[in-house]
Amino acid sequence: MTAASDLMDARQNPRFGTTSFSRVAALWALYILGLRQHLHGKRWMVITLLFLLPAVLVLVVRHTAHDVPPVNFEFVFVFMFIPQALLPLVALIYASGMIQDEQEEQTITYLLVRPSAKWAIYLVKLLATLTTTVCLTAIFTAITYVVIYAGAQSSAESIPLRCAKAILIHALAVITYCCLFGLIGLLSKRSLVIGILYIAIFEGLFANLAFGIRLLTVIYYTRLIAYRTLSFVTFTHGFPQNIAADAWQLDVMNDPQLLEHPQISTCLLVLLLASVFFAGLAALICSRREFHVKTPEKG
Amino acid sequence: MPIFDQGYQHWSGELSGHAWRWLAITRHGVRVGLKSKLLRIVLFVSWLPALVLAGALCVWGLLEHKSSMIDPIVQFMMFVNPQVLAEPRAYRLEVWTLCFHFFLQTELRFSMILVLLVGPSLISQDLRFNALPLYFSRPLRRIDYFLGKLGVIGFFLAMVTIVPSVVAYILGVFFSMDFTIVPETFRLLVSTVVYGLIITLSAGLLILALSSLSRNSRYVALFWIGIWFVSGISASVLQGVEREHQLRSFAVHNPSFPPASQWRDARRLREERRVRLDSWQLQNSRTDWRPLVSYTENLSRVERALLGTDNSWRKLSELLPDDRDVNHFLVDYAGPFYPWYWSALVLLGLFGLSACTLNFPIKSLDRLR
Amino acid sequence: MYTELSDQITGSPPMMPVVAFHEVSKWYGNVIGINKLTLSIPAGVTGLLGPNGAGKSTLLQLATGQLFPSQGTVSVLGRTVWNNPSLNRLIGLCPEQDAFYEWMSGWDFVYTCAKLAGMGRAQASDAAARSIESVGMTRQMKRSVRGYSKGMRQRIKLAQALVHEPEVLFLDEPLTGTDPVARRDLMDIIQKLGSQGKSVLVSSHVLHEVQSLTQSIILLNHGRLVAQGEVRQIRDLIDNHPHHIVLICDSCRKLAGRLLAWEDIEGVNVLAGGKGLMVQTRSPDAFYGRLPELSLQDDTAITEVYSDDDSLEAVFKYLVNS
Repeated sequence: MTAASDLMDARQNPRFGTTSFSRVAALWALYILGLRQHLHGKRWMVITLLFLLPAVLVLVVRHTAHDVPPVNFEFVFVFMFIPQALLPLVALIYASGMIQDEQEEQTITYLLVRPSAKWAIYLVKLLATLTTTVCLTAIFTAITYVVIYAGAQSSAESIPLRCAKAILIHALAVITYCCLFGLIGLLSKRSLVIGILYIAIFEGLFANLAFGIRLLTVIYYTRLIAYRTLSFVTFTHGFPQNIAADAWQLDVMNDPQLLEHPQISTCLLVLLLASVFFAGLAALICSRREFHVKTPEKG
Repeated sequence: MPIFDQGYQHWSGELSGHAWRWLAITRHGVRVGLKSKLLRIVLFVSWLPALVLAGALCVWGLLEHKSSMIDPIVQFMMFVNPQVLAEPRAYRLEVWTLCFHFFLQTELRFSMILVLLVGPSLISQDLRFNALPLYFSRPLRRIDYFLGKLGVIGFFLAMVTIVPSVVAYILGVFFSMDFTIVPETFRLLVSTVVYGLIITLSAGLLILALSSLSRNSRYVALFWIGIWFVSGISASVLQGVEREHQLRSFAVHNPSFPPASQWRDARRLREERRVRLDSWQLQNSRTDWRPLVSYTENLSRVERALLGTDNSWRKLSELLPDDRDVNHFLVDYAGPFYPWYWSALVLLGLFGLSACTLNFPIKSLDRLR
Repeated sequence: MYTELSDQITGSPPMMPVVAFHEVSKWYGNVIGINKLTLSIPAGVTGLLGPNGAGKSTLLQLATGQLFPSQGTVSVLGRTVWNNPSLNRLIGLCPEQDAFYEWMSGWDFVYTCAKLAGMGRAQASDAAARSIESVGMTRQMKRSVRGYSKGMRQRIKLAQALVHEPEVLFLDEPLTGTDPVARRDLMDIIQKLGSQGKSVLVSSHVLHEVQSLTQSIILLNHGRLVAQGEVRQIRDLIDNHPHHIVLICDSCRKLAGRLLAWEDIEGVNVLAGGKGLMVQTRSPDAFYGRLPELSLQDDTAITEVYSDDDSLEAVFKYLVNS
């Protein structure tokens, strides 16, 4: 035992530097590897095509529905299509595959036999996933804004500011989705099916019901933040209409200030706490579980 | 020293014909599929709508015979037009058609989930583990292999579309206690079976094509989700924007508020405007291509054409007390009304694309035969 | 039977075990991977042998901390391996599965593994170059892993295991699927590592491969330890089975007659063609002692003597079949 410990201590040689430096270096390498995995080969092309979809659709509808004001396009594509379909889907693609892809490709062994704790491996991979998805979201949300507002008559509110707010809201949503789907990816091999069911039932159905159950959805909080920070009033022949309130089942007639709904700070707190909880739980599970590569998963 | 041929050793016994060789692959695939607990759960849940369908047809049969057994149920059928309840036999075909329509709409969603569960690994896993030589070193042709794999999808889709429809149909016929019903409703049975085959061929070939493009079944599943989910949402968004555009275009010539001189007739004018709007929307619906973007909407459109759902809605709309409400009723419940063959062409195009895709990626492995 | 044999064979423990299993069992649901295994592996090259499904991969995954033992404790260099990532600095694993980040080049792969081991950029670069050189892949290192032959892939996999210069190496079937040339090269590399003082545990189900690498073996079957020690030592302990010794001579039948007069000879068979004899004896040492005298007799000149039983194949057959 002592001999082994001595040997161990002797191994803290200059090749690895100090232990803390070497740990950070290992995790940094893992982070870079995670980023490269997310963007290598044809992957980025597929994701780019997916993210370009709203911009392409905007081009189509700008051509076919020229009398619809840009704020309507913005609402439909940036605040409906992207957060309801694209963000959860991209988060599902990336986050559920963080560990599962490594397991399916049988490359997880190369990570497990390195001097990084399993929980740290998970969190670093999650961080790489969050970086990738947030960057992609920011870039393509901005592109969508450009396509919507380029050459169109802009509203009074500053478009770059609206775009920045939208990017922040989307980033928040995608972070929560990634943390959630990362956890699901650890818990089940069928994470894609479970994820899709979650997206369809919770984010698609429950979020659009004017009942308390929508408090369990990510999109509800992001919608509230968007509603409270941006104006979605459009004019049809001189008459104002709040398209967000109608579409998001917010009863502004009886509760114009939306006092019955959470405030921005609460929404932010809920989403961040939920993300931390999902990530923490997943890291804990990761640190305790075995990853079977060649040996049978169960009897 | 004799040198023996190291190549393929031909089976010296007698081989059966090619007709059923694919069945071995299908049987194996189904067995593997049924080992999944999640798949069994989805299958079970997807049979629940079939129970509702069978129940609805049986209730209608009893209603036709004015059976007292269903009196407690009739109280809850307030959503059905009283005239239909009074003459259930006269509206039998329409009610059956709509029951089958709602059932198939629900099962379409389950079919997509089943394809997601079963399909992605069908070819990709064979590619991943180099299992194709195991197939092609036997007297199997490419077509046998693909048919076998397609059979797996077909089995599961038939389990949720064709089998429950047929069972529900037979139950409905028995409960109606009137076998003259068969000629009247037989088209529904045939349509359901044909529709089941269309889903199997279309979705089956599509997922096989996707599965042959990657060795990673997760990516295949993601592609499938993209086609199903993203295409559906894109179509909805496009339709939403188009509706807004139509309302605005309509409002240009039909202002929401009449001029002050006509305020006395405001109510009548608003009513007339609504009627014109319904008519305008119905008219536009006939040429709106946007639903074609959605894969499931195309399948749905073909299903409605096969069952004749639109005719059923039209017949029910005749019961409305005010003729001016007919278009509104049709806009709300039936449609979209674009020609069904547009969707058929889209599905045919996807079918051709899938067949071409399947023809290329695995072609190199034919060297083994 | 196995327990008795292993009790006899494992005998006296070495001074400082590099890998130690104490009463270790591993279950996968109802399937048992390792069954109450107590084992000490000394420094040097050791072969881990067993048929498919014997539990070799489970043992290696337990030893590298990838699996948690259902029962018992596993330690490497005196430290528990489960959830002990710092120990991984001293451990190198060449996994059996033919899995890589296929989109990387060989250099990129080994360099990334060096960085994952916690090295700085310069050190990782040096270490990657050194380890790729040691497996003879320098010329091909810039090519994509996707385009490598099986032999190249095995070499580059070995390079990633060596890149951080571990004290203990676990090689899971490193020679699988390689051609004879690559096999010879890989065996040379492994032997060189042993001579450099590294502890290497090589698993294989191909007996002659291990035999050419080391005389020190561990035999597993059905998740249990069948035997551990030197090949010859193990063979000597199998008293239930007589040794088979082959004598090549010209006048076989005359020699057979003389041999049968010896009490410790259990049987003599004339080999096909009459060019040799297969002798069965329970006292090989006594037999070998008297053999020179016999050989000196003119009419029974023995030209060649060898024992098939010393081959790993025979030992394995005895142990596993019994």
